Amino acid sequence: MFKKGIEGFPYYLGVNSLADVARREDRVCVLNILGGESRQVTPISHAFSGGNVVFGTSPGRQGQVLTTAIGDIPVYDNVRAGLDAGLRFNTGVVYLPPSAVRDGVAELIRVNPDLTKIVMITEKSSVHDAREIRALGQTNGIDIFGANCLGMADSWNRVRIGGALGGDNPEEVLLKGSIAIFSNSGGFTTTIAQYLATEGWGTTTLISSGKDVYIHYAARDFAHALKNDDRTRAAVLYAEPGGYYEQDVDFGKPVVACVVGRWKSKLTRAVGHAGAMAGSGDRAEDKERWFMESFGVEGIFTPEEPVASARGAVVTNIAHIPAALTAVMKLDGATPDFEPRGSLALKPWIANDQGLKLPRHLALPTIEAIAPYNRQIKALGQQIGAVIPRQTMKDRSGASLMDPKTQLTYVHGHSVLDLALEPLEANFALPLVHEIASENDRAMLDIAVAAEMNLVGDAALAAADAAREAGNSPNTVMAAAASIIGPRRIDRALRCSKTLIDLFAHSGLLDARDESFDTTAIKADHKTWAMFMATAAEADDPRPEAMLKAARDRGGRSLFLTFLQSRDGRPSRDAILAAISTTIAWGPLMRKRISRLTAETLPWYLRLYGVMIGASIPAKYHQRGSLCGIPREERFGKWTMAEFLFLALTGKKPTETEARPLQILIGLLISNGPGSISAQGAKGAVSADGPQTPDRVQINKAMVGFLTHCGYSHGGNGFEGMAFLLEQFKHVVLKDPADPNHGVDLKAMTTRFAEAYREDKSHAKEAGLAEPRALPGVHHPIFKGKPINHDPRERFIAEFIGKRGDYNVFHAFYRELVKALYDVGASPYVFCVNVDAVIAALLLALLWKDYRAGILADKDLETAAFNLFLYGRMIGAAAEIDDHLNRGRNMDTRTPLEQCGFVV
Amino acid sequence: MEMTGLQYGSRLLKYVDFPCAEVLGPEATEDEINALLARCGSVFVKPIFKGGVGKKGRSGLVGRANDLKAALREKERLYFAEHRVAHRVVKAQGVTFEGAVPATIEVYFSVMDSTQYRAPAMTLTHMGGVDIEELEQKHIAQVPFEALTGLKAFVVANALSDIDAPKEIISPLVQHLPKLWELMHHYGLTTLELNPIRMQPGPAGRLTPVACDFKCGFDRDDPRWQRLGLPDYLFAADTSDFEHEVNQLRTHQGQSDVFVINDTGTILAPTFGGGANSLVTEVLGEAAIISSDFGGNPPYEKMKEVARICYKHWLKQANVLFIIGGKSNNTDIYETFRAMGDALREHFSQQGPTPIYVVVGRGGPSLVRGMGALAEVCDSLNLPYRFFGFDSAISEVVNYAKKIDAWMRAEGRAVIAEKLGLKRSP
Repeated sequence: MFKKGIEGFPYYLGVNSLADVARREDRVCVLNILGGESRQVTPISHAFSGGNVVFGTSPGRQGQVLTTAIGDIPVYDNVRAGLDAGLRFNTGVVYLPPSAVRDGVAELIRVNPDLTKIVMITEKSSVHDAREIRALGQTNGIDIFGANCLGMADSWNRVRIGGALGGDNPEEVLLKGSIAIFSNSGGFTTTIAQYLATEGWGTTTLISSGKDVYIHYAARDFAHALKNDDRTRAAVLYAEPGGYYEQDVDFGKPVVACVVGRWKSKLTRAVGHAGAMAGSGDRAEDKERWFMESFGVEGIFTPEEPVASARGAVVTNIAHIPAALTAVMKLDGATPDFEPRGSLALKPWIANDQGLKLPRHLALPTIEAIAPYNRQIKALGQQIGAVIPRQTMKDRSGASLMDPKTQLTYVHGHSVLDLALEPLEANFALPLVHEIASENDRAMLDIAVAAEMNLVGDAALAAADAAREAGNSPNTVMAAAASIIGPRRIDRALRCSKTLIDLFAHSGLLDARDESFDTTAIKADHKTWAMFMATAAEADDPRPEAMLKAARDRGGRSLFLTFLQSRDGRPSRDAILAAISTTIAWGPLMRKRISRLTAETLPWYLRLYGVMIGASIPAKYHQRGSLCGIPREERFGKWTMAEFLFLALTGKKPTETEARPLQILIGLLISNGPGSISAQGAKGAVSADGPQTPDRVQINKAMVGFLTHCGYSHGGNGFEGMAFLLEQFKHVVLKDPADPNHGVDLKAMTTRFAEAYREDKSHAKEAGLAEPRALPGVHHPIFKGKPINHDPRERFIAEFIGKRGDYNVFHAFYRELVKALYDVGASPYVFCVNVDAVIAALLLALLWKDYRAGILADKDLETAAFNLFLYGRMIGAAAEIDDHLNRGRNMDTRTPLEQCGFVV
Repeated sequence: MEMTGLQYGSRLLKYVDFPCAEVLGPEATEDEINALLARCGSVFVKPIFKGGVGKKGRSGLVGRANDLKAALREKERLYFAEHRVAHRVVKAQGVTFEGAVPATIEVYFSVMDSTQYRAPAMTLTHMGGVDIEELEQKHIAQVPFEALTGLKAFVVANALSDIDAPKEIISPLVQHLPKLWELMHHYGLTTLELNPIRMQPGPAGRLTPVACDFKCGFDRDDPRWQRLGLPDYLFAADTSDFEHEVNQLRTHQGQSDVFVINDTGTILAPTFGGGANSLVTEVLGEAAIISSDFGGNPPYEKMKEVARICYKHWLKQANVLFIIGGKSNNTDIYETFRAMGDALREHFSQQGPTPIYVVVGRGGPSLVRGMGALAEVCDSLNLPYRFFGFDSAISEVVNYAKKIDAWMRAEGRAVIAEKLGLKRSP
């Protein structure tokens, strides 16, 4: 049963011409107008179409309005209420949820005798409802479009009805021309229109048909309206597999048909009779054949083989549609509607290969986007550095991660084992640049730290020494000095750093080492230069000149240092520190590896590094012009971080064989992840200051937080392993721990110890006493249970040392000891030698000669072990502080009340 | 979602009181089989396949037994039988024992929605029991009917007259077949096929149509089929853990079915738009891991969850994260890209980094904001990327992603892995 429509159709069809699909005079009622999708789409459609939406419905919201650029659209509870208010419409648009679509259609038809068209946008409505909707439309003589579609638009009439064809800016895509589009894909309806413009083709009517089982306005209906539309010279039809809608259709005008889905249909084809009945014969290949037969062509059109007739062409790639259309139209002598606009060539808008060298055919340079996107992308470029979303960072870190299986900690993606093999300068820079610093940047870091270490005349040294004399632990001594390096002590350096970033942010400078970069366009005002320059009060400070000379001596390159020296006058130490830190930060900042906040605060960390290391050296060694007797020029110009730290530990310059173990030791100690007490202290200190107002966070106080969360159990216990070894080697004649020909019978030593240990255990058991204290450096709760066990971190270091031909008798002792413990029955299997044993062995070997010579006492060894821990861990602490500062929320390390307990 | 066989088909037919052959499931005891043999004379033993699997008889996968011994032998043969249908291989999960129905006439009946008529249509022949495609058209009635009034007796009667069906079957079929429309239309079916319906003579010689096989498809967008109370596992055929998990999020607000194309593929391509999905799937071929359409302006939370599931299952093996779509009409690019970026960041936080190259081709509302948000994430994760706007041909962007994939296989993956600190795992 169907109402009689256009003559000759065995069903109802009302639209006679494409010009009537979306008319300027169509009046629209939108069901569920305040729904999520309609709320975004309808205002744009309404404004584009000159105000064609009469009213919308949303049950319970009568009286509300939907605001648009050209005025509000009234909202009624239901269709009848809108009609009762005197409003009239001929087109219904359905944005209802799937289960309500059928009823919405029925209601539109029931209450509105003026209705001629319905557009159903909703997707995933049931086939059951689609059957009935089809019947409703046919019985009542209503043209229905969709469902699961984006409606229709008309570039001539400047009308859009239903969905969002043309997106949020229809004018950009709906260019007046002579081509109609009918597409199973809503997205491609717009995309095809946009592609056509690249060959100079504009559009008349665009219909997104949907791709449900029931396509209510289908290809046959479109073909009829196409023939009767004088504006339209040809059409593009996009079809996917499934359904017989396109079979035996006479389009009457040239058509380019795009059929996509051969591969997909292979995957989705139903099997079995019922499925076969519904699906056989309507695959992508079948549809290609229907069109080829209709157009009288024998192949698919491609740019290489442009198969086309005056009736049409078939393509399987939408990018080929414009060329195919031009070819078809050319056979009919027709020319495009306007000059081609743009091209479909690959145009990367935004790219970052993160410093990787891609093959040339892949490393496509970015191309300026079309307006207005080019302006938006440029605005994005104004934002330099990474932007990191804030979140609760309690017990979490974006800087460090300990792998529970391997017990290996990673800092910014680098395992501490790898870091142990890197130069210390790279490790000290890592928390702040999040990558391994270049050789140039490492040299810069050496200079910056060297310039801060000698604290002669500084209150920080007085505070540290007072703390030392009061009997405090090494971490407390360091904390006293760090407390002095508060915001005012770094204020100018931070301002200089911020200003340098401001000046060069959009200059195009990518590599801070590029001293040939033209800085003539960089304009700093008088006030800025005054900030950069040393004041009269700083006239006696020799360090600025020494730092600049050191940079030259080391061959360091820095555009920022060059810039500071481009003016007459004497740059201040703060400005030089800022220039150095900006040099180090610039590459990662431009590559968005670090935030601007990190780059701006970098001078504070560098100063703290120097002060904290300097504070671990007793005051008497800080002299004007020299530290531990080493002249300023030598330290600034030549020394490395490993040498500074060895100097701080021993008061001496290390040999190369002494510097390497120190570097390994510090690398291993950098971090144990965010759960370690020291990391918690640093994070808590940042959290308490409130990272959401980063200017108020005192980075020195955060370092103090780290330091106060170290102690004799966490940091100071590094001495335990050394003490154990000292006890074992107390009566052993050992001149050089690095000499493999030491003459010590390690096997006998360890066997004696193991037997005694076994006896102690046995007695303790018999007497019901606790077992003897666990042996430091032996066994691990994770690496256990196998016949022979290894701590992978110990193995890594052992292999590295072995490959270099180095030897360490204390390490060898440990290896023998675990075997002996098993051999005598003191352990159920061969325990692992853990990483703490390696640390103890390496450090004791470094200090052994001075210890045996009486230069160092037991207490000195303990202090050295503690300081060594602090040197390594200050790197990890800096990483956590910077991370929490960038990511954290105010007071986010609090423990919720319900997780707190009371104990009696 | 398809179902075949009488194990559950008989239950559905009971809802509309349509006669059906007696059937026992795989759990049938020997006594029950013996009793069925006693009543029916012989039994057909058929393997149970999940989903829509046809052509069993032609593949020798239907056994007939006249005694218990033979029935058990057939059970043993068919219980885990493998069946190749086109490119698919399925494995049986048990057998049914179906009582033989004596008859001389077999009828084929199906009802489905015809895209030629844009209406439901019945297909009927009195020469059933064979593949319908093999029959001459003159023996087949294919008749559309009105959805609002349904399959009425006169539609069946007219059709049977048109194909000169034997007179004795007309009345029984006119009486019983309209019931099947009730099953089709009111329980969310998209297709229903009974072949054969055997016309069993009764004591007075009157024939009764008895369904001896059952096939149907369900509309997953229609909640009516859930009234049938069928067990979920029936529809779990060929569904991977990933598909099951991600398709839980399928609602009318975006996201069509997502399925795995190649579980050893190397391009993870969240795709937006049905057209883009077809094109991308076509061009990527075996390199694609999944086929998806996440368009329809999904809200942030949903998009993030979808991305989370995709990353969880596939990112580790992927060389390229390829986010691709045409110029979206309505989907907010900022929301979707922000969601996918945040999910990526969280994935890296929880699972550690993995070497991927990110390629994007997209257009639509808030495009540059979206690209900016995603670029921020890639930068912070140290991942290389290249984003194309909608003025690059989508097919060319797909080809670019394939070239990146090839480079990743050759050397890129190792290079990026090293950059991410993944070079050594002790």
